[in-house]
Amino acid sequence: MPVLLWQKIMTDIYIKASAICTPNLELLSPFELEGYIIDKSLIPAIMRRRTALSTRMAITAATKACQQAQTDPSELASVFVSLGGEIQVTDALCRLLPDKTALLSPTQFHNSVHNTTAGYWGILNHCQQPSTAIAANDDGFAMGLLEAWSQLQQSPPELLLVCYDELWPQYLAAPIGDHAFACAFVLTTINDAAYPAISVPKITNLNLTLNLAWSELVKQAPATATIPLLQAIKQQQSGYIPLNINSSIWQTHLTF
Amino acid sequence: MIKSVAITAYTTLNACGLGNKALFQALKNNQSALSTLELFEVDFKTSVGEIKQPLATTPNHLQAYQSRNAQVALTALNYQEDGLRLAVEKAKQRYGAKRIAVIIGTSTSGLYETESAYSYLLKNNKMPADFNFINRHAYQATGRFLQLELGLTGACFAISTACSSSAKAIAAGQRLINSGVCDAALVGGVDTLCRLTLRGFSSLNLVSEKPCQPMDQSRSGISIGEAAGLLLLEKSNTANQFCPQLLAVGESSDAYHMSHPHPEGLGATLAMESALSLAGYKPKDIGYLNLHATATKINDAVEAKAVYSVFAKQLLSSATKGITGHTLGAAGALETIITLLALEEQFVPGSCGLEKLDPEFSCRINLHPIPQQKLKIAMSNSFGFGGNNASVIVAKNYD
Repeated sequence: MPVLLWQKIMTDIYIKASAICTPNLELLSPFELEGYIIDKSLIPAIMRRRTALSTRMAITAATKACQQAQTDPSELASVFVSLGGEIQVTDALCRLLPDKTALLSPTQFHNSVHNTTAGYWGILNHCQQPSTAIAANDDGFAMGLLEAWSQLQQSPPELLLVCYDELWPQYLAAPIGDHAFACAFVLTTINDAAYPAISVPKITNLNLTLNLAWSELVKQAPATATIPLLQAIKQQQSGYIPLNINSSIWQTHLTF
Repeated sequence: MIKSVAITAYTTLNACGLGNKALFQALKNNQSALSTLELFEVDFKTSVGEIKQPLATTPNHLQAYQSRNAQVALTALNYQEDGLRLAVEKAKQRYGAKRIAVIIGTSTSGLYETESAYSYLLKNNKMPADFNFINRHAYQATGRFLQLELGLTGACFAISTACSSSAKAIAAGQRLINSGVCDAALVGGVDTLCRLTLRGFSSLNLVSEKPCQPMDQSRSGISIGEAAGLLLLEKSNTANQFCPQLLAVGESSDAYHMSHPHPEGLGATLAMESALSLAGYKPKDIGYLNLHATATKINDAVEAKAVYSVFAKQLLSSATKGITGHTLGAAGALETIITLLALEEQFVPGSCGLEKLDPEFSCRINLHPIPQQKLKIAMSNSFGFGGNNASVIVAKNYD
């Protein structure tokens, strides 16, 4: 069977470390998770002035995950996932556009691209490894993990996956953006008894019961789709993990 | 070295018109499709690569996805002569709807519609009734629209890394196929003209008043364009062995500045070298390079340096944004298609708008289209804001 064939040649992927950053740590208490608020000391003042909540949050989570993994960030390829990316910057620019004579700020303009966070991460860490910025609505985490998984098959051994979404203006797509949340994972192909393995994300027919509090939170902060995986890692519990709250559920299997 | 995948169909809509033939004609004649901006007004002089022909209308059940970006994508998808849609339908029968991914690169998505919505918002303190940010403007909107239109149910996401977006979407498609996640992937890029990009690039003093002149000593900035470039990738097998092949995409980051390239072109060099290494080829094996060459002072100078450092003087390259404009998030896919046409038609495109090559540049740049027998392997460069670089290598009758 061809399916068995490729499964055999595929390398397993392990989670080496993970970290959360949110300005509202209370979000995490129902899930018994811990996280960080933005750590200003991680971002030089000049970069802090130029970046928005999204980038500061994502950089905090990513740096904490790399520290925990004892991995040099300059060596890591990265996958950044966000539904709205730099939505606050984009919103500020869009508000100027109806005035045909208004001048846009060049810094704001180049900071409105979806890979702004990825770009600053690379500059901060002198990292010339490939970096990508993806978006997939409700499936963001599932697609980010899939992209990360397939990148590691091609280019082992380690990779950084960051999911983040900042606060959005109410009029865009409420309740999306009611909460800000970022989470980072250091993934590796190196097998170590301490690291749980994850299977390639798939659309499942398994009848997973979704935690109601979680699925409500995902509607407000898409990057919190990562929470069931983070919980399972913390509790060291093997099993199927939902990666989204859609009708077609993407899932991965976590094995300790 | 990685496994190549087959490119079983591809097509484009851009300022030159609809389909590969219209693009080939413009390339063969080295004829610019740049014109004055008609879609909306800006208060500075510029030329654009605007699509002037009527666009397909989004079907009723997908009205929630209606945007210029979606329409441009649909018009290209439905163009029968290039057979892309038929090839996707066949792949669906062969592999199943779940086994076909959709990965679309874009930098604008439906921003054009959102801009009008903001005019309404500022007057009325609320968005218009039909405003739908998620399905029209969020980056995955056009990809999701194509997935629903084609009845596909596999992985679907957008890549948005500014001007390298669609080159990276091509890379992601190859990886998903090679890691067994899917058997085929509809990949490419779609970007449309909008006020934010025109006025944003103008704020950076990067927009040229006259049609852009890539690599010219008097180049003065970019001409922005719009396009869809769509390609169907399939795992290689005997049925598609005579199709062109995607060998590899090399990717890198500058880690230097958000809008300035690395002055020595280190990121660009790394992307080209990585593409060569992943494809398992040496610089001398590449027969043609489609440059990123946006026609800004610094970008072209840095790329010329990087190309020289990898290929010395041996590789024939050219710049085609003087024909199509810089189509930003779609540029990687559009120029991969131009590179495929060069292989298919056995010619090296010229560099429209280039009159006098910058004397500082040492790499070999082709001015006028020339026939090139036995052109087998070629490369296309795409570099974007954030220092995000990708180089695509494609081949014909590769064995």
